[in-house]
Amino acid sequence: MFDENQPSLAANSANAIARVDDLKVYFNSKRGIVHSVDGVSFDIRDGETLGLVGETGCGKSVTGRSFLQLLPMPPGIQAGGSITFYPQGICEECGGKGCASCTGTGRTSVDCEACSGTGCDACGNNGAQQIDLLKLGSEKMRRIRGDRIAMIFQDPGKALNPSLTIREQVGEVFLQHRSEELLGAAGIATDAGGWQANILRRKASQMERGIEGLLLALPPLRSQRNKLELALDDMVADALTETQIANPRKLMGRYPHELSGGMRQRVMIAQALACNPDLLIADEPTTALDVTVQARILELISELKERHKTSVLYISHDLSLVRRICDRVAVMYAGRIAEIGTTEQIFNDPRHPYTRGLLAAVPTAASKRGELAAIKGSVPELVDPKPSCRFTGRCLFETEACGTFDPALQNVAPNHAVSCFIHHPPPEGARPSFDTKTS
Amino acid sequence: MSAADQMPQAKPGTNADILLSVRNIKKHFPIREGALQKVVGQVRAVDGVSFDIRRGETLGLVGESGCGKTTLGQVVSGLRAPTDGAVYYDISEAQRAELETRQAVNWGAGHRIDQLEGAAFKNFRRNCQMVFQDSYSSLNPRHLVIDLVGRPLKVYKEASGDELVERVVALLEQVGLDRQHLYRYPHQFSGGQRQRISIARALALDPDLIVLDEPTSALDVSVQAQILNLLHDLQVERNLAYLFVTHDLSVVRHMADRIVTMYLGKVVETGETTDIFRQPYHPYTQALMAAKPDLIEGEDTAMQSLEGLVPDPARPPQGCRFHTRCPQATPVCGWEVDDVVRWLDSSEEMFDKLSGVERKSAFDATLTFEDETSAQRLADGLQSDLVPAPMREATEALEVSGKSVRVRFREVAEINLTDRDNGRAAACILDPNDVKRG
Repeated sequence: MFDENQPSLAANSANAIARVDDLKVYFNSKRGIVHSVDGVSFDIRDGETLGLVGETGCGKSVTGRSFLQLLPMPPGIQAGGSITFYPQGICEECGGKGCASCTGTGRTSVDCEACSGTGCDACGNNGAQQIDLLKLGSEKMRRIRGDRIAMIFQDPGKALNPSLTIREQVGEVFLQHRSEELLGAAGIATDAGGWQANILRRKASQMERGIEGLLLALPPLRSQRNKLELALDDMVADALTETQIANPRKLMGRYPHELSGGMRQRVMIAQALACNPDLLIADEPTTALDVTVQARILELISELKERHKTSVLYISHDLSLVRRICDRVAVMYAGRIAEIGTTEQIFNDPRHPYTRGLLAAVPTAASKRGELAAIKGSVPELVDPKPSCRFTGRCLFETEACGTFDPALQNVAPNHAVSCFIHHPPPEGARPSFDTKTS
Repeated sequence: MSAADQMPQAKPGTNADILLSVRNIKKHFPIREGALQKVVGQVRAVDGVSFDIRRGETLGLVGESGCGKTTLGQVVSGLRAPTDGAVYYDISEAQRAELETRQAVNWGAGHRIDQLEGAAFKNFRRNCQMVFQDSYSSLNPRHLVIDLVGRPLKVYKEASGDELVERVVALLEQVGLDRQHLYRYPHQFSGGQRQRISIARALALDPDLIVLDEPTSALDVSVQAQILNLLHDLQVERNLAYLFVTHDLSVVRHMADRIVTMYLGKVVETGETTDIFRQPYHPYTQALMAAKPDLIEGEDTAMQSLEGLVPDPARPPQGCRFHTRCPQATPVCGWEVDDVVRWLDSSEEMFDKLSGVERKSAFDATLTFEDETSAQRLADGLQSDLVPAPMREATEALEVSGKSVRVRFREVAEINLTDRDNGRAAACILDPNDVKRG
């Protein structure tokens, strides 16, 4: 029998790229405090695609956005928990091909900034750098956003700036995170002194101010500025080519409204993957797209993920998509994780009544008309929730204990954890079972 | 639920059961330009569509966004007047025979819904209701539920006062809401509940047909399942006909008796749901199915996708409209000059060098470039692997003279819907058995 008391996170902690620990995000509202995310813990392993599924309002997007501090505070409240990010670099010994020292992944952890790898309090004595994303200052967060962690949003029509050309939007990523490379490509030495070099340096990181824009347009700075712009053009074109956009240079001068939905989403992916991030957060990237386009975008994401060895947090409500592209799946319900496991475990051996309900609700070839197994009721309001299982009232197997105690996420098999009393006896009262149905 | 168990399934029957006939519907939207708003072209949103809806059946209308399915739904329900063609409602056997044999029928006012007047039009309106995709924008935020659901009853003077309240309560109970929801505003409900209110409103006058325009695409799966079950129960109880407009094949497979697949304003395939899912006769239907496999059944099938974009509906492709993206295209599918231009558009410098296209027809044109090398490169390109093999085969003439290239493709007539076995029809020149299953 598997040890039921072992917390699900302990397994395989070595190769995690990010760990969410007891994350709590609340929102102030007129009716009280909404517990949007209420104690969510999971880790994203290096190189995997983790699916985060659930219904509208279950907190999956809030969880995703917390990684990059993209939530408005207030009304949001960071009520506790942490998100630890372990940046990864390309292995120096093999250059990303995979060797013995990086155990074949081609990537190694980055040395801790405080002690440069010798081990100190900041890194928990293992020498690898770790960053608490929730406590990071805004300047430091800026450096991570788009560089180490990138995000793809649901609706590319809304996420792209309508008043900037594609070149300006994609170029911004490079100006923010790759100014040194840009300067190098434009033939400007990094250590060059003097006011000219300083102006160019500021230009390359979008920091030029006042009259400097005018100076850059005049000799002697003009030729170097042009070189810089050409180098930027090349980088943007390369990024767009990555996403299989034909004729990227022609597209660069266009505005988002001139592109189709699929094209816009490609631009967003190009933007997100421009700096080769360690972690990509994809928040329903294909919901706004047509089915035929959707398949292409998913292919593209998984292909680029393989090539860049990026880890992906894939947020979606579409179970059939998640099944096809994710390695592991976390099912969220009402601000909690109901079940987490490998894709195979979740789809072939679902243990939580909610997961079972969700799977049964999808119309398939086998389901008879008028007899879809709908989950009764609707998602509860999360204003000051009572200490009980959140699925009470909708669950088919509920007992008295479910209404008074809160089930914790516990392992039922290696890598497979469920928060339901069916699998872990409640502190008091009868244990529910899949054999007894309540009406 | 119990009603669904007892009553036999509504089966599509003979011609006598036909409730509504759509014949050769066209809906074109003018493109206006310039200060005088001169009409410079037409967006052919719906371009010649015919089908029948029988009593008690669900007809699924599927296709990508922009294929005209929503516009067609609106024309059927009388919300938009068609540019050409007509929707016939409630016609007799004799009139039906006339409809089948003659190209154009003119009975004057009476049965064409765009010519209905007075009482006849009111009768059509009450028998054909609509449920919209977005329940946020289709329910007036300033009205209470009792006003929203009771409005049709008031307009048709069916009920008033206490009786109205009781009728509304009965309707709400049918869709799984109850008396306590009467005096609430739409924003106080969840998405699924709002869609239930829309359905209750559509049911108020006991219609024959409900046009459902993507009724579940804004909902979660568990709520979608509730709504689909509800729609089915209501259909069995009241012998309703549904025109179910959606892009989700798993939903259509579950709900529809027959399916009409649309692409760029035209019907590419129709038939019984089970037949179509067993073996699609058109590569587009096939591609739609491969793009979103079933959760359980298609476990191992890889997702397949279509290349390219939906062409501009203002200039639909010749021959088969799907040939530009079809994985199984042949040389006789309608390759044309626009395909050359589209191909040029995807290569960087070539398109900039193109200075003019002089068309003799859609299949025959002379392309002029700014220099001779570009002309030669185009000619070489058209004979190489860079263009699809069927397009190369369809090229009848390719002459380079200086800066210009003349291309001529095989002329192909428009490929229309042709009847196949079992009451099925497909607009594809391929033999059904040659349409490969992905």
